[in-house]
Amino acid sequence: MFPFWLRLKVSKPGQRGFRLWFPVILIWIILAALLIALFPLMLLAALVTWRRGPGKLLILLYPMLTAVLWNLSGLHIEAKDDENDVLIDFA
Amino acid sequence: MNEEKRKVLEMLSQGKITVEEADKLLAAINEPSGESAAAAGGKRQWKYLRVLVEPGPGSENNDKVNVRIPFKLIRAGLKFAAFIPREYQGKVDEALKEKGLNVDLSKITPEDLEDLVSNLDDMTVEVDGKDKVRVFCE
Repeated sequence: MFPFWLRLKVSKPGQRGFRLWFPVILIWIILAALLIALFPLMLLAALVTWRRGPGKLLILLYPMLTAVLWNLSGLHIEAKDDENDVLIDFA
Repeated sequence: MNEEKRKVLEMLSQGKITVEEADKLLAAINEPSGESAAAAGGKRQWKYLRVLVEPGPGSENNDKVNVRIPFKLIRAGLKFAAFIPREYQGKVDEALKEKGLNVDLSKITPEDLEDLVSNLDDMTVEVDGKDKVRVFCE
């Protein structure tokens, strides 16, 4: 399912740093609106470039992008060294 | 010790059965049932690929990496390789070759990618050096 929250943390040792719980669902809503608005243009571009090849890929772009966003949930990236501590977590 | 094993041992001590018979009975008791055996033999569905990097005993730094990638995301992301324009696929191949990976991207089919990802779950890599690196599935 789509992730609803993005947890972001950037800090340095001994400091509180930057922490954010962001409702990424807002981004998905904006992105969905943008993709719907661009769909006619995408379809036109796909038809124009169909013979050369990229058209077929353009048609697949929407479902592939949806698949990536849909499966982002559970992605966890945490890296820490002496100077920085970074966390990106989709939940 | 469960009741069945106790009964077998009692029968053995009373001389009702021979040692061989008791052995066979105990083996039959210890054998998993058909359903649980199938479950044990079946391939487990892992959800995530994990990469952990921790400082080893001789390490001077405190670098730590903890990455958890959903397998479904890997599958979905790999399909985007098809979007690399053909004229750039050669450059990607050359860059991979420089890193020691002799791969021809144009010859990789979606079926190959599916095979690659589905077999990743058998992989466990552990490297103990200055840093301790673990790659596994969970």
